[in-house]
Amino acid sequence: MDISVITDTFDAWTDTTLGWISDNGEWLFEFIRSVLEGTYDGVLWLLQLAPFYVIAIIAALLGWRLINALSGVLAGLALVFCAVMGLWTETMSTLALVITATILALFVGIPIGIVAGFVRSFDRFLEPVLDLIQTLPPYIYLLPAIALLGYGPATALIATFIVAMPPAIRLTSLGIRMTPLEFIELGQASGLTTWQMFIKIRLPFAIPSVMAGINQSLMMAFGMVVIAGIVGSGGLGETIYSAVRTLDIATSINAAIAIVILTMVLDRLTQSAARRASGEAR
Amino acid sequence: MNTAMNDSNEVLIDCQSVWKIFGGRAQAAVKAITERGLSKTQVLQDFDCVVGVSDASLQVRRGEIFCIMGLSGSGKSTLIRLLNRLIEPSLGKITVKGKEIARLNATELRDMRARNIGMVFQSVALLPHRTVLENAAFGLEAQGVAKEERHRIARAALEKVGLADWTSRYPRELSGGMQQRVGLARAIAADPEIILMDEPFSALDPLIRRQLQDEFRQLTKSLGKSAVFITHDLEEAIRIGDRIAIMKDGVIVQVGTAEEIVTKPADDYVSDFVAGISRIHLVKAHSVMRPVAEFRNSQPNCDVNALLRASPEADIGELIDLTTQSDRDAVAVVENGTVVGVVTIRGLLRGVAGKPAG
Ligand SMILES: Nc1ncnc2c1ncn2[C@@H]1O[C@H](COP(=O)(O)OP(=O)(O)OP(=O)(O)O)[C@@H](O)[C@H]1O
Ligand SMILES: [Mg+2]
Repeated sequence: MDISVITDTFDAWTDTTLGWISDNGEWLFEFIRSVLEGTYDGVLWLLQLAPFYVIAIIAALLGWRLINALSGVLAGLALVFCAVMGLWTETMSTLALVITATILALFVGIPIGIVAGFVRSFDRFLEPVLDLIQTLPPYIYLLPAIALLGYGPATALIATFIVAMPPAIRLTSLGIRMTPLEFIELGQASGLTTWQMFIKIRLPFAIPSVMAGINQSLMMAFGMVVIAGIVGSGGLGETIYSAVRTLDIATSINAAIAIVILTMVLDRLTQSAARRASGEAR
Repeated sequence: MNTAMNDSNEVLIDCQSVWKIFGGRAQAAVKAITERGLSKTQVLQDFDCVVGVSDASLQVRRGEIFCIMGLSGSGKSTLIRLLNRLIEPSLGKITVKGKEIARLNATELRDMRARNIGMVFQSVALLPHRTVLENAAFGLEAQGVAKEERHRIARAALEKVGLADWTSRYPRELSGGMQQRVGLARAIAADPEIILMDEPFSALDPLIRRQLQDEFRQLTKSLGKSAVFITHDLEEAIRIGDRIAIMKDGVIVQVGTAEEIVTKPADDYVSDFVAGISRIHLVKAHSVMRPVAEFRNSQPNCDVNALLRASPEADIGELIDLTTQSDRDAVAVVENGTVVGVVTIRGLLRGVAGKPAG
């Protein structure tokens, strides 16, 4: 009927457009893909350099320094448990994926957030865009990515990156705008230059908020892990996805436990680091 | 610096009919005020604007400590913020060191703030992520002084305010009064020619407060600096100020020396302010003495030349001492070897009670 004609035309149009983009922009996507996968491989290589118990000890030490001794022991034991379940390699791939995506998100998001913190109109423009990114179901970002970058970690990274970026932008911008007026006046009255004002006054006051943004970005990235399994991200996400397809419930539950452990350990560690940063500023 | 110090009449800060009106329709409000003479309440009603400072004129001379007094909300902080252009006046002209500050470009303004005008804030504004020492060195840091040098100077300034042992603490570990003293040290360390102080001693206990008042006055005088000093406390203004301006609803109602303000208050508002003030060390012989001829008429058998003598600048406290030492009831006021007047017990009592000589 009429409707199907319209949808068919639309589908054909979408196919040609995507085809055209991937044909003409091949070099670009090849480049993006190699940067993403290169970073990912690098991080993964680093994480696999040390045996599992070394990573567990590092987590335990961080937990002890940042939170307390008990949390340190628990963090270490929880990671050892991932290895005992036989999922160490997958856990590390997932960690590498999350870390890479978060670093990229911060790399792009924090500067954008700083600009938005200063330029009110830019911030007002970003607001609805970020709202949209955060309301759409994250699956959406897999579609164009897989069309352009193909099956594999690069697609998973891009989708995770998009989802992890908004909190970094939002909370950085908020932090920059939150400098109390009395300190702006102090800077002015002391004759600071614009750059000194940024480095010596605005940034220190923004750090707690930026740290909270980093923590939230990380958590958003973890939220994408399982979803990204569909496009061949590797790691725990893919383990769950293929285990569910073959009805291997036990393995999928193990992988899910490993994800929960990893998420909790990183959440606690970064949250305490953030609290510590804000504790120093207050 | 030294040559300039001798010229004590040099005007460092000159405010001419300065207005500051807060609100979206400030310019329209200014127009209405200058053309139709609207009052503060009318402006609030008709334009929804708050008059912060209204038609204020004042001069601060080199080496002078100029106090601004007034009730809460009378516009003191607004006025002092206009002096270093933290806020722009709605109308009027402000000149600092001969330069109209509204005309300075960003670099010139920055330079003037970093080198010539220091400020101590009512809110103190210590940076929470810096130690006491780093806070005290902040002004010097803005001037680009090397770290070791600025820390040395800041340490000396902290010593002056009695916080030598607290250099490596953070502001949150200090009491309110101690924080105020760090704010003071920060301003002293930056060593500006003019220092703007917004209630710098309000959170201090009476003892340290007195000590810092004396120290501040002595320091300012010995270095030949100038200061604009805001306070709620008339005793404080009298103690450290060379001249005092009294503000009410954004208007400067009177400017004068402590003695002028106490003995000749311009209106009821000022009289209320000075009502509780002890005149003993404020009122001088020249304002309570009677002319010699008048004294001779009323007491023909008293020999003026046999009375104990005092200078016209002697205060009531000294005159009371002299009177109690003598067996007469009067003291002669002598200037350049001639008797210019006589202070009687009656005159002393009138002086203490705050009434004009008579
Ligand atoms: N940024 C501003 N916006 C609007 N109104 C203001 C602003 N700053 C001050 N005002 C108003 O200007 C008037 C004078 O305020 P100001 O802070 O100068 O008073 P103050 O004499 O310093 O009082 P205090 O002794 O309580 O510090 C007040 O009515 C206040 O509401
Ligand atoms: Mg004030």
